Amino acid sequence: MMRARAGAGGTWLLGGIAAACIAIMLGLLAFTLGSGLASLWPTRVERIELRGGEILFGEVVESDADSLILRGSEVERIGEGYRRLRRADIATRNAPPDAVVVQLGDGRRRFGAADMEVSLAAPAADGVAEVLRPNAMGPFARTGVFLRNLFAFVATPPDASNLAGGVLPALVGTVTLVLLMSVLVMPFGIATAVYLHERRGPGMRIARGAIDTLAGVPAIVYGVLGLGLFVHGIGGGVDRWFHADRLPVPTFGSGGLLWAALTLALLTLPVVVVSVEQGLARMPASLRAGSLALGATREETMWRLLLPAARPAVLTGLVLAIARAAGSVAPLMLVGMVKLAPASPLDGAFPYLHPSRQFMHLGFAVYDAALASSDVIRGVPRAYACAMLLVCVVIALNLSAILLRNRLRDRYRALEP
Amino acid sequence: MRPMLNSVSPFPATDPIGNRDEAAASAALSTRGLCLWYGARQVLEQIDLDVPARRITALIGPSGCGKSSLLRCLNRLNDEIEGSRVGGQVLLGGADAYAAGVVVHELRRRVGIVFQRPNPFPLSIHDNVAYGLRLLGMRRPRELDERIEAALKAAALWDEVANRLDESALGLSLGQQQRLVIARAIAVEPEVLMLDEPASALDPAATLRFEELLHELAQRYTLLLVTHNMQQAARVSDFTAFMHAGRLVEFDDTDALFTNPRQRQTEDFITGRYG
Repeated sequence: MMRARAGAGGTWLLGGIAAACIAIMLGLLAFTLGSGLASLWPTRVERIELRGGEILFGEVVESDADSLILRGSEVERIGEGYRRLRRADIATRNAPPDAVVVQLGDGRRRFGAADMEVSLAAPAADGVAEVLRPNAMGPFARTGVFLRNLFAFVATPPDASNLAGGVLPALVGTVTLVLLMSVLVMPFGIATAVYLHERRGPGMRIARGAIDTLAGVPAIVYGVLGLGLFVHGIGGGVDRWFHADRLPVPTFGSGGLLWAALTLALLTLPVVVVSVEQGLARMPASLRAGSLALGATREETMWRLLLPAARPAVLTGLVLAIARAAGSVAPLMLVGMVKLAPASPLDGAFPYLHPSRQFMHLGFAVYDAALASSDVIRGVPRAYACAMLLVCVVIALNLSAILLRNRLRDRYRALEP
Repeated sequence: MRPMLNSVSPFPATDPIGNRDEAAASAALSTRGLCLWYGARQVLEQIDLDVPARRITALIGPSGCGKSSLLRCLNRLNDEIEGSRVGGQVLLGGADAYAAGVVVHELRRRVGIVFQRPNPFPLSIHDNVAYGLRLLGMRRPRELDERIEAALKAAALWDEVANRLDESALGLSLGQQQRLVIARAIAVEPEVLMLDEPASALDPAATLRFEELLHELAQRYTLLLVTHNMQQAARVSDFTAFMHAGRLVEFDDTDALFTNPRQRQTEDFITGRYG
């Protein structure tokens, strides 16, 4: 209607707005991916000779009109090698092809000329992870290093400072949490939607309003609820009844994967309920009548016919729930998410999934790297890399749910009104 | 197309009163003083109808006269409508369908219904027919397959779908869907099969085949057919009931009703003066 009245100009305006939205979204994705991946690209090692005669090796991490920041060798601990150099003090600056970077196992890096390689590595000979000559590398060798860095980032655990190493535990924690949340929220959400669909009356109007309101409650409030209800309430009770011998050391009475998943399930329940209920409401009345006429009870009609036919809507609810859950970090801080978990909630020891354990999360890794890090210059690119990975995880989880839904939707297409 | 009624019918049309009694004696389904209200509005008034077993009975009448509502009373589908209220009796095999203690979903299995628009479930052809059987607790694949084949053959659909039973029923043509819905209904062996304007969505050729199918079904089932098409009623049915404004005006042997209606209203309707 609006388009018809607005004419060609209006169409262009609306089209432009839509295009801007898409451009912003793509830009965000590209920025996250670009910044995240760039932090894994091997940088060149520079040799800087100051006017005083001092010779420095390192990476230039920031520069402006009259000064630059050089990351030099980190002898004792990570993040100690930064130096701000005034351009006026620099005599010569070049990138000799034989410059060496020694990557130590704990994330420290040392820089030097080729003849210094042995001495650079010596104090920590057992901790040398890699010796590289990035300046001498061609594009292929650089790509190789980049891919190795990417793999190490995704597939290894971090060091204690969360400045070096990979984010595997956070990745595992995020995916496990979202999957556990999905397993928990779907039965509750479907049952609630079925109940709301089958029952009518003023009470149901109130219940529906309450669910819509729940969808708008800030996430951190759910975190408080999860802490009080699940961790202290249920978890404390479980400990008193079943793990009394270990008190006062809590087993379930402290934050853990299960409580975080339940908190997220509570958070995402409204979107599942609304989506499933809409799916059921879209089912033609003739299906229900046909099933009842064949001698099915109302329950049989719901579970054997209507709900299976509404599977696309159920999966839409799952997609929305995953999207909301994977992006919620705030409530998790209260119910078991930690910077460094002593043990992964998912490991090779029976029963493989340990729901009472604390866990790590990519969303928290972003925050920690960006703001709580002792090395800001290393931390910010790392935050981008974590954010990139988080976006990839959300996209991958959503994509699989969407693909599943589209396959089902093709089958039920003829039902759509 | 079919044998003349008068030579086959056990109820000669000469004596209307005696005709009714005989019909009642062999009725598969009867109503006594059946009334229906939706809220305060009365839709059916004092319906006394006997549907003879293994015959086709047509229900005709102008739109909104309560034909479909009557069908929905007979298998208690009206129970699902809020504010509906039923008075009188529906006798199925001599027992009142509205008596206390009647299990509604068992009753509905005994009185099958086919709706105006075919409503196949969004399942495979096989699972559509298996739906009612599985509700009865039938699980063994071989038994299911036999019953499904028999039902599809009885509904004259088997030859067209035999090699694609696992495809979605929603991909069938409208006429095929209607026969699938019939197969689904007769798979659970109902005592009475009610059809609510089943041919209204079909083209003339499909309608013709459909009417032949009705004759075959009438060998084994009691059919109650709602139609707004008087030619169809005259062609297909053995008995015809004419309804008007929620009342059963006249019920008789089809030939008798169309050639020699006893009520003025019936005559007006079948001669096309209104309706």
